[in-house]
Amino acid sequence: MSGRRSSSLRQSLSGWLWVAPTLLFLFFFVYGPAFANIVYSLFSFSAMSQKMDFVGLANYFELSADPLFQTGLINNIIYALISVFFQVAVALTLAAVLESKVFPTFAANGFRTMLFLPSILPVVVVGLIWQILLAPAIGLLDQALWELGLGAWSRAWLGDPDTAIYTIIMVSQWQWTGYIMALFMVAIRAIPRDLYEAMELEGACGPRIFFHLTVPGARETILIVTIITILGSLKVFDIVWVMTAGGPNHSSEVLGTLMYRAAFRDDMIGYSSTIATVIFFIALTIGVVQIKLQKDQ
Amino acid sequence: MADATVAANQLPRERNFADARGILNRIMLWIAFLTLSLACIYPMIWLFLNGFKSTNELFQSSWGIPQVWRWENFTTAWNYGISRYLLNSVIVAVATVATELILASMAAYALVTMEFKGKFVIYMGILGGMILPPEVSLFPLFKVMAATDLYNTYFALILPNVAFGLPFTTFLIRAYMVGIPQDLREAALMEGASEGMIFRSIYLPLCRPVLAAAGLIAAMRTWNEFIFALTFVESESVKTVTIGIMSFAVALRADYGVMMAGLALSILPILATFLILQRQFIGGLTQGAVK
Repeated sequence: MSGRRSSSLRQSLSGWLWVAPTLLFLFFFVYGPAFANIVYSLFSFSAMSQKMDFVGLANYFELSADPLFQTGLINNIIYALISVFFQVAVALTLAAVLESKVFPTFAANGFRTMLFLPSILPVVVVGLIWQILLAPAIGLLDQALWELGLGAWSRAWLGDPDTAIYTIIMVSQWQWTGYIMALFMVAIRAIPRDLYEAMELEGACGPRIFFHLTVPGARETILIVTIITILGSLKVFDIVWVMTAGGPNHSSEVLGTLMYRAAFRDDMIGYSSTIATVIFFIALTIGVVQIKLQKDQ
Repeated sequence: MADATVAANQLPRERNFADARGILNRIMLWIAFLTLSLACIYPMIWLFLNGFKSTNELFQSSWGIPQVWRWENFTTAWNYGISRYLLNSVIVAVATVATELILASMAAYALVTMEFKGKFVIYMGILGGMILPPEVSLFPLFKVMAATDLYNTYFALILPNVAFGLPFTTFLIRAYMVGIPQDLREAALMEGASEGMIFRSIYLPLCRPVLAAAGLIAAMRTWNEFIFALTFVESESVKTVTIGIMSFAVALRADYGVMMAGLALSILPILATFLILQRQFIGGLTQGAVK
């Protein structure tokens, strides 16, 4: 692996050939289109016409004044905050409990499997199942509330502008918390066992061990999970599109749904590309932050 | 002295108290985890049970066991298109995973074993693809698909799926190949083996564990892929499960029993695989994800 500086052209050629297919795929389907997208954001045009009007940054000005864009961005941020709480704080706590040997092995394994289960389902199916579960009258949640005498709390969770986005976010937590928990269990297992035994001998209780040993020990995983969770929340599309498509009355709109609707429903390609470009720069910033943080470790 | 006796007297009582608290804690934890587990699996049980009901029965009692087990709901759903969607998903997933594993391990092999100009930049270029969300390329890709007749074919799904999966897969396989001793390759080169032979008969067999994990991750990602399927195909004969199930659910809005039977069928293959291979599944899906 010693960096040999004198790699001749002939030598390079064989290396290039081996990576060429991957690079071509990336060029044609990832980078090329992403670049085209940025260019499109400077034009105003429709999908069917050949005519593209150059408008400079007008799309960006229009976007920054668009109240829907603000709703979407705020929803993305709420999505990220709630997700980080559940998928970092809650998932790590659950993982610590399962790894702390309070349960017999078979029970800990069983719990892990059951909590992990929702993460293997397609997001679409999860969205559709919960749509029925949350529907008034036949939905499980509604019936449970009536049975418990809490009928007054019953509402159309997805049909109410006040609750739609939060309902979607909670469904998403239902799906992913168990998966992140399993990731944390792997991280906790990498912390030397004798450190735990030493703390237990000193008579330290669960929460103390958690904050003094588990949290610092799993720090790197916590950092990465936080970043992927934020990134995932900012580019979320499918669960929202399936459950509400941004409604009712645009209350659960996120950047992804705004972008999709602008392109494939309203035929405002330039405007849609502008939203996509904003998503791109947000993702890029988070990606750069991640690389910086990981280098510091 | 006096202090010592007091301490000795108190100790057992304190211990009893601590034990009682420990047991109480334990009970609380059991209740908490049982509730969470139930919350995670009950929606699926509910789905399967309600798949057997008629719409009327469903409205009357969506909690209960079906009065009559209507297996015909499942056959109706299967023939209504679910079978076709599942088949399409299998075709797209197999083609995507195979292509992705071959190309990614080739790239990883070169990045690990060979010296060539621009290697670092190329590696960064491959990794950079991980940051880009598919949304950003969506409309330009749609235009390409429409212009090249790829639109509404399996290729419209396979090609972008491969492209967006390659960065992570290459990264995973490369990280594993770095651990394979270089002298194996050098010895084989001395004996006149070609790079292709070394790749196929030394590196690929040694990489079997990482190929399995990367393949599983790629398969899950492709199976659940949504936005390309929503945008690049439109006919029933090409739709994958994720999109097919949506049109299925819309078409059967009035017949909840059959609709839920269809939803249940659509997740049955993946659920069964998971339950049979849970250890490998959880291991594979968590292994590479955080690195």
